Amino acid sequence: MAERTVSVASEVGLHARPAATFVQTAAKVPFDVTIAKAGGSPVSAKSILSVLALDVRQGESIVISAEGEGAEELLDELAQIASAS
Amino acid sequence: MTTVLAPVAGAAIGLAAVPDPVFSQAMVGPGTAIDPLRQPVEALAPIDGTIVKLHPHAYVVVGDDGRGVLVHLGIDTVQLKGEGFRLLAAEGDRVSAGQPVVAWDPATVEAGGRSPVCPVVALDAVAGSVGEIAEGGVAAGDPLFEWS
Repeated sequence: MAERTVSVASEVGLHARPAATFVQTAAKVPFDVTIAKAGGSPVSAKSILSVLALDVRQGESIVISAEGEGAEELLDELAQIASAS
Repeated sequence: MTTVLAPVAGAAIGLAAVPDPVFSQAMVGPGTAIDPLRQPVEALAPIDGTIVKLHPHAYVVVGDDGRGVLVHLGIDTVQLKGEGFRLLAAEGDRVSAGQPVVAWDPATVEAGGRSPVCPVVALDAVAGSVGEIAEGGVAAGDPLFEWS
């Protein structure tokens, strides 16, 4: 299981554009990808509903996890989206 | 089948006409958008369900079948930080389709230099599952589209 912890930098948090980009990127791979707030329960990173409902605000940390071929590269990409301001 | 109701009165213009690529390219999901009448209004719940997320400028209602519908009141309205919006329900509330959720004035949003257009989006919808999309004038509470 590969994992990244990143701080969300966007002023609007992980909503709207960053959320849509994040989910579209996660949806590209065939394996499960999850997102959780630090210490919280993981939800599917491929679901825009789940990601919007998670309600990650600017400055909050998220943990993204995946297991599968190319998981490391995917998590790097997702971490970059989440940490972009 | 879920019938999604128009949260506000106005003209159904389609997502492609929304001045924000996140919505116009259907990155969030399929649906449509309403160019609202410029008068103070109460935006309604589009479906029966639970308000899982309630921001002043946007809300998500999830039905008992797990389907979520996003209503976004105007474009870039997150920047208003709630000013001009009044919550008429609370996060976690159960609502009936057509129940008021947020009071706001599209004319005020427009006067502030932002588009008051309201995307109504079926979240996580499978491609091709949204149809019978209304076009042109709609009253608040009218059927807006069907989600099969």
